[in-house]
Amino acid sequence: MTDGPLIVQSDKTLLLDIDHPQSDECRRAIASFAELEKSPEHIHTYRLTPLGLWNARAAGHDAEQVVDVLLKYSRFAVPHALLVDVAETMSRYGRLRLEAHPVHGLVLVSRDPAVLKEVTRGKKIAPMLGLQLDAETIVVHPGQRGFLKQALLKLGWPAEDFAGYVDGKHHEIDLVQDGWSIRKYQELAAEGFWHGGSGVVVLPCGAGKTIVGAAAMAHAKATTLILVTNTIAARQWRDELLKRTTLHEDEIGEYSGSKKEIRPVTIATYQVMTTRKQGIYAHLDLFDAIDWGLIIYDEVHLLPAPIFRFTADIQSRRRLGLTATLVREDGMEGEVFSLIGPKRFDVPWREIEAQGYIAPADCVEVRVNLTDEERLNYATAEPEDRYRFCSTTATKRKVAIALAKQHSKEQVLIIGQYINQLDAISEEMGVPLIKGDTPIKERERLFGLYRAGEIKCLVVSKVANFSIDLPDATIAIQVSGTFGSRQEEAQRLGRILRPKSDGRTARFYSIVARDTVDQDFAQNRQRFLAEQGYAYGIIDADDVLNANPD
Amino acid sequence: MSVNSFADELRSRSDDAIAALFEARPDLLTPIPTDLSALSARANSTPSLMRALESLNKFQLEVLTSACTLSEPFSKSEILSVTIPEAGEELLRLWAAALVYKDGSKFRLPGNLRNLIGDEPGGLGPHSPKKIDFIALKDLPPDSAAVLERLTWGPPRGQVASVKSPGKAIGWLLENNYLMPMDSKTVVLPREVGMHLRSGKVFKDFAPVPAKFLGTNRKQKDVNRAAIANVSNFLRWCEELAHNWSDEPPIALRSGGLGVRDLKRSADHLGVDEICVAFVAEILYLGGLIVIDTDDQILPTNSFDIWMSRTLEERWHSLVSLWLETSRVSGLVGKIGEKNIAPLGPELDRAGVASMRKATLHILSKNLELDPDIKVLQSLIAWQMPQRFSAEYIEWTLREAEWLGLTGQGALSEFGSALLNGAKDIGVESALPKPVDHILIQADNSAIAPGPLTVELANMIGTIADIESRGGASVYRFSESSIRRGLDHGQTGGQIKSFLKKTSRTPVPQPLEYLINDVAKRHGRLRVGSAHSYIRCEDEGLIAQILHDKKLEQLRFRKLAPQVLVCDFESSDVIATLREASYLPAAENANGILISAPAIRRAKSRPRPPKILSETSAPSKIIVKGAIRALRAGEKASSHKPREVPRTTANETLDLLHQYIEEQASLTIGYADTNGGVSNRLIDPISISLGTLIARDHATGEMQSFRIPRITGVSPAK
Repeated sequence: MTDGPLIVQSDKTLLLDIDHPQSDECRRAIASFAELEKSPEHIHTYRLTPLGLWNARAAGHDAEQVVDVLLKYSRFAVPHALLVDVAETMSRYGRLRLEAHPVHGLVLVSRDPAVLKEVTRGKKIAPMLGLQLDAETIVVHPGQRGFLKQALLKLGWPAEDFAGYVDGKHHEIDLVQDGWSIRKYQELAAEGFWHGGSGVVVLPCGAGKTIVGAAAMAHAKATTLILVTNTIAARQWRDELLKRTTLHEDEIGEYSGSKKEIRPVTIATYQVMTTRKQGIYAHLDLFDAIDWGLIIYDEVHLLPAPIFRFTADIQSRRRLGLTATLVREDGMEGEVFSLIGPKRFDVPWREIEAQGYIAPADCVEVRVNLTDEERLNYATAEPEDRYRFCSTTATKRKVAIALAKQHSKEQVLIIGQYINQLDAISEEMGVPLIKGDTPIKERERLFGLYRAGEIKCLVVSKVANFSIDLPDATIAIQVSGTFGSRQEEAQRLGRILRPKSDGRTARFYSIVARDTVDQDFAQNRQRFLAEQGYAYGIIDADDVLNANPD
Repeated sequence: MSVNSFADELRSRSDDAIAALFEARPDLLTPIPTDLSALSARANSTPSLMRALESLNKFQLEVLTSACTLSEPFSKSEILSVTIPEAGEELLRLWAAALVYKDGSKFRLPGNLRNLIGDEPGGLGPHSPKKIDFIALKDLPPDSAAVLERLTWGPPRGQVASVKSPGKAIGWLLENNYLMPMDSKTVVLPREVGMHLRSGKVFKDFAPVPAKFLGTNRKQKDVNRAAIANVSNFLRWCEELAHNWSDEPPIALRSGGLGVRDLKRSADHLGVDEICVAFVAEILYLGGLIVIDTDDQILPTNSFDIWMSRTLEERWHSLVSLWLETSRVSGLVGKIGEKNIAPLGPELDRAGVASMRKATLHILSKNLELDPDIKVLQSLIAWQMPQRFSAEYIEWTLREAEWLGLTGQGALSEFGSALLNGAKDIGVESALPKPVDHILIQADNSAIAPGPLTVELANMIGTIADIESRGGASVYRFSESSIRRGLDHGQTGGQIKSFLKKTSRTPVPQPLEYLINDVAKRHGRLRVGSAHSYIRCEDEGLIAQILHDKKLEQLRFRKLAPQVLVCDFESSDVIATLREASYLPAAENANGILISAPAIRRAKSRPRPPKILSETSAPSKIIVKGAIRALRAGEKASSHKPREVPRTTANETLDLLHQYIEEQASLTIGYADTNGGVSNRLIDPISISLGTLIARDHATGEMQSFRIPRITGVSPAK
């Protein structure tokens, strides 16, 4: 028994004692194969999953290293069965390879004929395969590269893809580092991706994923298709690329609901790609419009299911996924792994925060009491109306305004889901509101003013959730939100986690109605945020209101 | 002659030799035989010989089988000629075990042994009555050669269409006496031919020594580490399973044992596979830590609590020792053919497993730092105890030894060796992680015990938090419902907080404190109780009067609100009592409406009129006819009524019976059946023993036993 920082549990979670002197060393050692599940203040939890272990294999680690790390740092004896299982799982990756055969094109190869036999017996897999050339080689029908990888992953035999990529149409792209320079981890991320061929880079919000994308483009020097979540994000990508690279405005096209430009670098939204006309995806041709050399998927964890299907068809193009988290609410992590590629780079949030690129944040939950009348109304409300009812109480509005006033010297963002509530707050405080029907021009103008510090407070509805850069928000106040989804929390916090010029602590308030479903969702939120390692406190609304008697 | 001379030979053995015999065959000692002829009889009995054969290794069995091919008496050189030189030594061992005995300078076999070895020892056929000339073998046709080849190493018999008209190949062999017919369709290879073809040796390859042990090298340090992880896992499984079953006891199957669904559920709970849970359950069952209760619930026993109070080493030691000795094989659990074998059920016992288990561990203890190659290990055991060997059991033994932590990474651990050697201090206690007396609480409302908790701490945290992850450490989660459970168990918010402050190495996070306060504040604000009836009245004065009225004390009213009283009596009783005390109560229904008229009483249960027994209807003609016939027959029978047997006392009965047995005369007895009816029987008495008369009954012509107390009387047959 050593006195290491790591406790290996029999359910394959790893508990890392971060107050231990060896914890940093151990964290670096296990980060390559275990997925960080939560990182509260004392003990971080990692999990060993097949995908995580295969990611590690893809990154060149072997089972022996993993077992060594576990044994080296473990505080207690590690169950032998778990080690055997790790070795067994890892040995499955790469037993099958997809390769390009000079005569037959795409082939599935394995040194282990038994494995090949096992997978070819699969009902789903057999139709994708053609002639068996010898005991170790089977021809794969062209066009099945992605689907085959998906199916093999489901069988537990993930194939390594060595079939290569098309170069795509050459296009000169370089980074222009005038007045800024690429951060070390961004460079490592871009390189990690480039050497791996295709794959996903995991960086927290505010860590500069766009720059990683630009750096990857500079490596590829080829026409690039960038898929983003919405139009605002598309514009931000464009602005960022113009600022950071040699690209000119006429080289970058926007392919969205309003514009259909196809240029050497084209930025398209998920929404337009998944728009259907008479049951047919109308804009699929975009994938073949140019001989793309690189496809970038922004926010991979939100990638809609149909895009996966298109992606399966374009496996010969290099693909870069960018995301803050590999966790998908729909559990399609396996699809990301097989179709976009393994994880090529990962930095935990806290590490970047420690490097000073992300402002540390405080989370405060404000508990609001419903009035007796509201309580009665809540009790009699229909179940589907309950959440709306409790999250839009009058007291919440008062508290939100009181908090905004307390922080009137700072950049404040009030976020909510229900337009009526937001309207009321905006009206009462006399601050602008950005919602779904605000024209893009107007939004950009308001965001511009806010960024410039001319507007101190902004009320935004759900639209602001994804990919909008609001660099100087230091206070976010959430009055209502959608069902406590983990993604949303990550996004919300991402808003205020962006680097602050003076290193101040950002604060995230969420206002919660006591003893209602709102509080149940708040519990999820608390858990998620605390798991991410953020300070979390709960106060009563009266404390806020009494501090501001007006 | 043979048995007698066997006894004589034993009689001539020295005391040391007899002692050696008892050592080789301990079963001969229980009970201690009265004299040497009794000993020889027992040593020649089938059960004892079977046990002796089971204890032989493969080579000894081969030598003994070879001896069976010879005709008695045989000399040592005869044995050596049909075996290999190493057999000489084994012959001495067989003699020591009285599986052969001396007749002058030669040897004989105990009479029963040949029956056990069989008619075709070593796959050799019977002796040929005819003389066989092996010279003709030179001209052996190829087809016939193929036949001989098939029969050479046994079994020596073969089927043909008809012995009368065999094919050419067989015909040639029959003609030259190389085969002989056994029946109309079977031919057999005579022993002489078989031995000739085997070049004079009974077995192709004698195996005087076992195969060499093979395995993967391990370091004892790593082995011990892995083993200790297994030990702590195993003890945790035991504890967890018992706790789990105490919360949700499984119901035993009607045929006994644990059902498949409960097995699955428990496997999910422990996070191991079903066969492992079956093993843990069996061990707990062996240790008496769980039991199938009278109402078929499977529950932990008091012994479990006692077991829990012991040190970890004692806990481990007690269960592992049971495993070593048990005849129950949990590896059998699961579906075998059509049948499902349940853990804790009656079908898991197998004889001889314990010795195989010990043999396996013995081999491991002789080969430390080696993870055995299962095939080699199996062949070793197969050599050592060919009669008991089962490949599966070896596999299961290794698997279970690993689960128990006797082995780690497949090789025997120091703890395993210590336990097998009966060491006092096994070293498990000091190798297992020390219990910790603190936890770490984090802002996400989880608490981590960075090691095994002391029992008291674990119990306390168990009531106020839910366990989330198990292993070397435990992860607990606090939630509203877990805190509430703590409050329900009689804790207060303050107690919980001070407990956490005392136990946690890290400050108690503010949200958790808030949660505890919040739950404690709301806990018990709503109160629920039961009452049978209530009294309400808008006049609070009247309520107060009733509450204090001496005449109504028996109703034991409780005041819930200024205008409401409750009591535990039926409303009708309350009304009656109030009326007696000259109040004027009225009954009301659930909606507060007065029940004005006294309700006409009606039963609450559904009507259940009694069934009508139908009148007898006229019988059919056939039945009447049959009945009459029966009556007539009965009449006839009764007219031949035998003479009444006089009643005799018990002593008289016995005397008479003895007398008749001596005279061998027939007699009539009165015999009471189980219903007390007495019938007369004509019998020939034969003997009396244990209160029973054995006699031949003239009516059936069969031997029958009659209980003497039931014999009412005896008289000579007329």
